[in-house]
Amino acid sequence: MSRKKAVKAKGSSKSPKPSPCSGRSGKGLAAAAAPSGGLVYPSRPSISNSGEFYDIAFKVMLVGDSGVGKTCLLVRFKDGAFLAGSFISTVGIDFRNKVLNIDALKVKLQIWDTAGQERFRSVTHAYYRDAHALLLLYDVTNKRSFDNIRAWLTEIHEYAQQDVVVMLLGNKADSTHDRVVKREEGEKLAKEFGVPFMETSAKSGLNVELAFTAVAKELKHRTTKEPDEPKFQLQEYVDKEMRTAGCCRS
Amino acid sequence: MEKKKNKATKWTGSPDGGAKDRVDSVDPYGFARSEDFDYESYEELMSEYLVVLTRRSIKWSKLLKGKSKVEKNLKLKRYVRKGIPNEHRAQIWMTASGAQEQLEKNPDYYQSLLQAQHDPKLVETICTDLNRTFPDNVQFHKTSSPCLQKALHNVLLAYGHHNPAVGYCQGMNFIAGYLLIITKDEEKSFWLMDALLGRILPDYYSPAMLGLKTDQEVLGELVKVKVPTVWQTMVEHNVMWTLVVSRWFICLYIDILPVETVLRIWDCLFYEGSKILFRVALTLIHHNQALIQQAQSLPDVCQNFKQITRGPFVDECHTFMQKIFTEPGSLSMATITKLRETCRARIIAEES
Repeated sequence: MSRKKAVKAKGSSKSPKPSPCSGRSGKGLAAAAAPSGGLVYPSRPSISNSGEFYDIAFKVMLVGDSGVGKTCLLVRFKDGAFLAGSFISTVGIDFRNKVLNIDALKVKLQIWDTAGQERFRSVTHAYYRDAHALLLLYDVTNKRSFDNIRAWLTEIHEYAQQDVVVMLLGNKADSTHDRVVKREEGEKLAKEFGVPFMETSAKSGLNVELAFTAVAKELKHRTTKEPDEPKFQLQEYVDKEMRTAGCCRS
Repeated sequence: MEKKKNKATKWTGSPDGGAKDRVDSVDPYGFARSEDFDYESYEELMSEYLVVLTRRSIKWSKLLKGKSKVEKNLKLKRYVRKGIPNEHRAQIWMTASGAQEQLEKNPDYYQSLLQAQHDPKLVETICTDLNRTFPDNVQFHKTSSPCLQKALHNVLLAYGHHNPAVGYCQGMNFIAGYLLIITKDEEKSFWLMDALLGRILPDYYSPAMLGLKTDQEVLGELVKVKVPTVWQTMVEHNVMWTLVVSRWFICLYIDILPVETVLRIWDCLFYEGSKILFRVALTLIHHNQALIQQAQSLPDVCQNFKQITRGPFVDECHTFMQKIFTEPGSLSMATITKLRETCRARIIAEES
């Protein structure tokens, strides 16, 4: 995925604006033009297609190399389940909804799961634009997936909205024997890019709920906060929650 | 052909619930049936479909008379559309697609690919997906004998070296898996992959995925003409076709439609070409246009596109396969070729 091509593709999605006669451009334009406004309904409760009420909705995307555990993380969060060896490779793009209670508000997360293989990115990155948050995963037992994080972040900066919430997650933290990426390395990289970080395990459930809740809190806070209210500190919140839970922090 | 029973009368019979005891919990291809599998409906469906299968089997035996080669003609085409019996499936796929010819012309080629030095990155990419290909199929379990996982690895590896421009693309694992289940032979599966990716399908799997992007737009154009209300819904909710149909094309309906239905589609795919993929998509969309139109939002549209790939309409594969040749109306290869040209040019122009 070259940067050059990326820039061009981005431009092209905007260029067809004046020519709504072309079917394809029409759709591309529309999808691009539907970012936050299309999804957030902060005032009145709405009803989702599953029949569940919610006050506010956000779009979250799971990204990262193939096999880092994006689908597993999502299924663990959505259904609380992890069935070893029951997952199939994700082809294309898919989504699931989950409604969370955040400070007395019902927050619906529409979570998009994407194929990790590089060639699918030309199909999926059109969706970065509409995302309010991106959970970027690597696998602590796979060095390459960690090394690729920089490229992912570059791509995210290229395609996503400027104020998108990005969180770095080192998944498969339960695999102590196969671990090749230290937690400190993840922390360091996250600091360098100024994004919050934590390690997760879809298998044990470690921090899975917390990762999504933290993102939901941040997004909810941004939407509802008064002008003079201080910013929500995502990393602080996460650190505090992890200390309280008494897990993984030594 | 097959008499379709009224769904309402289906449940008035004896509610004995014994179908679950009579029907195997693993299907004939090795797939474990899901927890919510409807054994009663399946048993009822199969009692009708078995009659069809038996009749077709006798007809095919007469047609083939023990021959291994068949000539392509209108009669064979009609036979293929009505379903190739499983015992002849591998053979007909091989001959109709030209895979058999390639295999005979290049007798040691497959083995030589496996014996050559392997690209480590390709190996790693393939291995990432081995455990994620049909974990619900007993033939792919590590403990099964023979274990198709090793064969899957070999076929994908050989193909990746045979066609380095494509290498390995997710989705190919499922296709190779199905080919192995049907042919039970690595080399035949390899040559069928070659037929599909090299001749039958456009360039769906190459890094730029231009063929996929093109066909998604071609489908959009066809829907615009044939099912304008659905096209309108898509525009209204800003749904890009890739969101709802990329898996349909990439996986050739594997894991989207029921196994038996997929195999019936593939019978025609090998014989008639990639046009069939559009016929299937258009039939699903046309038949369910009222449901798709009900969508109130983009997620609704996505949900409804998932829903239309389930239920009796697609379970009843024999009726479904008749429908794909009637429901979407006429669809000439010339139309598709022309649309592919214009859509491809448009995409290239937009990307450059």
